[in-house]
Amino acid sequence: MIDREWIVKKTLFVFAMIAVLGILLIVVLVTQQAAPSIAKAGPLQMLFSSNWNPQAGHYGMLIFIAGTFLTMLGGLLIGVPLALGTAIYLTQMSSKRIAGPVSRAVEIMAGIPSIVIGWLGLTMLVPVIRKVLGTNQGYGLLAASLVLGVMIMPTITAIAKDALDAVPVAYKQASIGLGATRWQTIRRVILPAARNGIIVAVILGMGRAIGETVAVAMVLGPSTAFPKSLTTPTHTLTTKIVMEIGESTGLQRSALFAMALLLLLIAMALILSVRLVTRNKEFA
Amino acid sequence: MNRRSKIGITATGLVLVGLLAMSLALAGCGSTSAKSLSGKLTLSGSTTVLPLAQEAADMFMTDNPKTNVTVQGGGSSVGVTQVSQGVVNIGNSSRDLNDTEKNLGLVDHQVAYDVIAIIVNPSVGITNLTSDQAKAIFSGTVKNWNQVGGPNAPITVVIRDSSSGTREIFDQKVLGAAKTAPDAPGAIETNSNGIMRQTVASTPNSAGYISLGYIDKTVKSVSLNGVQPTLANGLNKTYPLARYLHMFTKGEATGLAKSYIDFVLTPNFQNVVVAKDYVPMTKIPGSASSTTPTGK
Repeated sequence: MIDREWIVKKTLFVFAMIAVLGILLIVVLVTQQAAPSIAKAGPLQMLFSSNWNPQAGHYGMLIFIAGTFLTMLGGLLIGVPLALGTAIYLTQMSSKRIAGPVSRAVEIMAGIPSIVIGWLGLTMLVPVIRKVLGTNQGYGLLAASLVLGVMIMPTITAIAKDALDAVPVAYKQASIGLGATRWQTIRRVILPAARNGIIVAVILGMGRAIGETVAVAMVLGPSTAFPKSLTTPTHTLTTKIVMEIGESTGLQRSALFAMALLLLLIAMALILSVRLVTRNKEFA
Repeated sequence: MNRRSKIGITATGLVLVGLLAMSLALAGCGSTSAKSLSGKLTLSGSTTVLPLAQEAADMFMTDNPKTNVTVQGGGSSVGVTQVSQGVVNIGNSSRDLNDTEKNLGLVDHQVAYDVIAIIVNPSVGITNLTSDQAKAIFSGTVKNWNQVGGPNAPITVVIRDSSSGTREIFDQKVLGAAKTAPDAPGAIETNSNGIMRQTVASTPNSAGYISLGYIDKTVKSVSLNGVQPTLANGLNKTYPLARYLHMFTKGEATGLAKSYIDFVLTPNFQNVVVAKDYVPMTKIPGSASSTTPTGK
């Protein structure tokens, strides 16, 4: 029977399908643009060669893939301890009076535009690194990791906080009742119980770190070279795309789309792995 | 909600939609009478040409208030591609057409002459480089400033992205490449003249190259083989890093595009605006706006 219920249901179904169709459309369009270069160079060369010289027909993306993973790792190394620490503090240890403003501050941090953080990184962080470490340039993985760490921290904190809050209070009470100290309780009871949620938080942080473009581009150099140390410039998939896409044509442009496709696949793999991790466990 | 208010809301909605449709239709129409120039004109392409095109657009729109001229960047390659596809009316380019682009049916309008200078961070203190030194620095074979008469510090090379028209002419004239040379190892990439200037200005011991019009007090330009990068030297060919700036149209320019390009080529615009940063076409003997008797 066609009544209001039916109309609402079908309309919302259409909205939901737009999301699915949108993803399919993006993947199809990107693959279409990427196809010429993948056909020419072959995925093996693209994934495993570090020789990027489109003028001579070389499309090795290894430098950028390495850059993406290294900056993601660096961002996680800095962001995850900060975020977890904050989440544990907010849910387990702080008084209500402090928890309020700190939570708000973390939420506001999540709202800071990435270009502002990138700009601050470029104008304040890089010169400081240059001075403190005495290096020539100051750009590089160290600056990028700090910038990314600051950017993914609010995301991870928010989700980890929810995960920790979801642990039944009975667990905590039982642990303390058995004589455990607060830290023992946190370490051996609450954290393992909230493990899935924390893993989800970290994976979403990874997703954000991989996709971050402008802020990383400003502090990474960038430069098409493997990083020789923490303070030499390098490239990631995102920064190379944004650097070259403006004026590129032909096969080189197609190769940039191939990099975009790779990024899409990595991001989708990360999101799907969230599903995998939380499938059979209790507190999904 | 009762029946009357439903009708009222529907009616208001229809009126609003009608007004919106009417205003969109009117905005799309452009009068083609020569007396009152109106309509939309879009340009895109080279970031070197962009400041020039933007200033011409502003002056053109002041003279012809019913027109709307928008200028975007994106680089020379983007400009050529977009004008050939009809995405924009005029494509700006700071390089000549390459072989694959020569068959696109584009008509060339040379609008200015540009000089590219090698710049260094003020901390370097070098004032001149020979061609061999410049080539060695920008290909990465020379890595320390003390090998070319500067302080003992490692050189940080700053280059443009690989599709830049500015980079292409630099690589061809200085590095001797056929088109664009491969990235110098570890060179920092920038994708516009503005970011190039900012990077060289803020990174100690760095060297790069930039369009003459973008040089300011934050960077130091360097002479090449003793020849200063000036407009005069570009014109008399003693300074090799020089090129024409182009505005391409698909086929002969017509209508608003023709009026705009004619405006850009008027001696007044050339001598007053173009001459600030580039060599105006009035000084190029034999060009469309060359005022031969007075061109000096």
